[in-house]
Amino acid sequence: MIFRPNPSLGVPIYLQLMEQVKHAVETGALRAGEQLPGIRPLAEELVINPNTVAKAYRELEHEGVIELRHGAGAFVSAGAARTRKLADRVRVARPIMSAAVEKLRAKGLSDEEIRRLFEAELAGLTKAGAQHE
Amino acid sequence: MSDPLAIEISDLRKRYPGGVEALRGLTLQVPTGSIFGFLGRNGAGKTTTIKVLLGMTHPTSGRALVFGLSTEDAVASVAIRRRAGFVSEDKDLYDAMTVHDIIRFTAGFYPKWRSDLETRYLRSFELPLARKVKQLSHGTRTKLALLLALCRGADLLVLDEPMSGLDPAISEEVLQALVRHVADEHATVFLSSHQLADIDQIADHVAIIERGRAVVCGSLEDIRDGHRRIQIVFEGDAPALSFRTPGVIRTRRDGRVLTVFASGAADAISAEAQTFNPVSVDVTALTLKEIFLESVNASVNAEN
Amino acid sequence: MLWYKSWLDTRWRFLIGFVLLAIMAGGIVASYNVSRSLLPALASRPLDTSTTAGRLLREAIQVQQTYRGFVWVQWFRQNLLETGTLFAILLGSGGVVSTSRGGLFTLSLPASRRDWMLTRAATGLGEFFVLATVPSLALPILSPIVGQHYSVVDLVAHGVCFFVAAAVFYSLAFLLSTIFQDVWRPLGIAVGIACVIALVEGLLDVKGLFHVMSGYDYFTSRSVPWLGLMFSGAASAAFLYGAVVNVVRKDF
Repeated sequence: MIFRPNPSLGVPIYLQLMEQVKHAVETGALRAGEQLPGIRPLAEELVINPNTVAKAYRELEHEGVIELRHGAGAFVSAGAARTRKLADRVRVARPIMSAAVEKLRAKGLSDEEIRRLFEAELAGLTKAGAQHE
Repeated sequence: MSDPLAIEISDLRKRYPGGVEALRGLTLQVPTGSIFGFLGRNGAGKTTTIKVLLGMTHPTSGRALVFGLSTEDAVASVAIRRRAGFVSEDKDLYDAMTVHDIIRFTAGFYPKWRSDLETRYLRSFELPLARKVKQLSHGTRTKLALLLALCRGADLLVLDEPMSGLDPAISEEVLQALVRHVADEHATVFLSSHQLADIDQIADHVAIIERGRAVVCGSLEDIRDGHRRIQIVFEGDAPALSFRTPGVIRTRRDGRVLTVFASGAADAISAEAQTFNPVSVDVTALTLKEIFLESVNASVNAEN
Repeated sequence: MLWYKSWLDTRWRFLIGFVLLAIMAGGIVASYNVSRSLLPALASRPLDTSTTAGRLLREAIQVQQTYRGFVWVQWFRQNLLETGTLFAILLGSGGVVSTSRGGLFTLSLPASRRDWMLTRAATGLGEFFVLATVPSLALPILSPIVGQHYSVVDLVAHGVCFFVAAAVFYSLAFLLSTIFQDVWRPLGIAVGIACVIALVEGLLDVKGLFHVMSGYDYFTSRSVPWLGLMFSGAASAAFLYGAVVNVVRKDF
């Protein structure tokens, strides 16, 4: 269900992991109350640093996506509302994204250029976001 | 009783007779429980550093502590090696022995030898017990060397280019074994490598050594967060700017574009860039490979 | 495990040397009858004793009139001396922590370099002691077969002289192995030095290392060459100490 993160994407591995978990929740692959793989087994399976997995799980807990129950493991947070809110956000975002991509393509940008612009925006935003913390 | 630092190197210097200075004031810290990637060009001093840690080479000056013990004290050095496993670049082993014999031989040195790990890795690595070491293929030999290091119940694994010459499948086996050892045994891994993708995958701390000195050292996340490419586009030809804000590794001019490679303070540098009235200022992340190349080149240029 | 490794590294040289020397010792005894029948013929031939060679030959013929003399000339002054010295050098060569295959692995084990070196030195020396003394037992054991008797006291005295003096070459080879990386140069240099010393002693009639080794003083006057043995012991100790210091200080 969770597949190998790509280290050369330029996106930190823990962020990729978080995205995957959130995506799994949105698509229903992970439901409220279901247990996630343990930190160590997941690290071994994906062959990534256990600290990275731990960090991803901590951040996901911080965002309220999962709960870390001491001694028992990591579980998807209860609250269908939460799950639906995520799914809603994605549903709303998708047409915005398609429209933007179509517009940029119409302006003659290639997919590669669009992707780079997008990543640059995100990198700038990430830094700005961290500043406001 | 565990130190926060598995390895602590302070101002390490090594000059070989004949004048070659392999290490020129290397300083780095390896936190306990981390997977530490030790990167550098060929001949930058990685192997020398590793040999100093294991008491195989004597430094000219400076200090290296492993588990808080001095590598230069003969008794302490033995104590270090009792808790550390090593895989050399050439996968140095006793060629004339069989796989079985060298395992039993090595086990004889370690009262805390882990038979459970031995059984597990013999099976998963598929090592042929009766075959002589010199007859093993490179990949199998590497796995044997790794088994001998892991089964010591080592708190620290030191590996010199472990992945060199390995096909992707065996490479992944090795990485998996390392991750597993760190996770299960709370061990620390210190590995030098040229395979940046592997380091990206499993390391949480990194140091880049160039010409005997560390040019980058710290958690991989901090290093990745801090390093940025700042692209500044001007109306006319880009001016030759020098930035007052510290953190600039180097700048490159190409027609109307001035590219700045920064190791930190990207926002401050961007702000300063704005004062030169550019058309646009664009900040992007750098891959580990780019960070490596820029840091190493900057060091070379700084020397010349 | 250190002892075991040292044994693994030296066992073939030891075993081959042992078998070779045992066969040679037996051969000496077996050849006695043959030489006894030849000697009178040789003794009666005219010899030019004005040359060194001539004088030595006459001397050798005269000494070998007795069984004790025969054994001394053939075994302690020649065969054991030459072959034994060669094996002393062989056992001392090879290096302990060589930069050839396995050196870094050895160094990664939790044992000090000093312990590796001392163990290897002791193992090789112990093996050489066996080579220097045990094959010679063929002499008192087999002599009755040819109707002769060889004194065990003589055996012990000669054995000690040979071992202590020849150990110098063992230690020299051991030291040279810490200076040179390959296995041939220590061997060649030690053998070369042995030849030079032998030549000097022989041609210039100097009473040196081989003189002590053969137990000449004991054979002729039953006096143990204490001074020579002491100097040999001191030289061996110095070489071995130097070897240990070399390896401890080295960068690998």
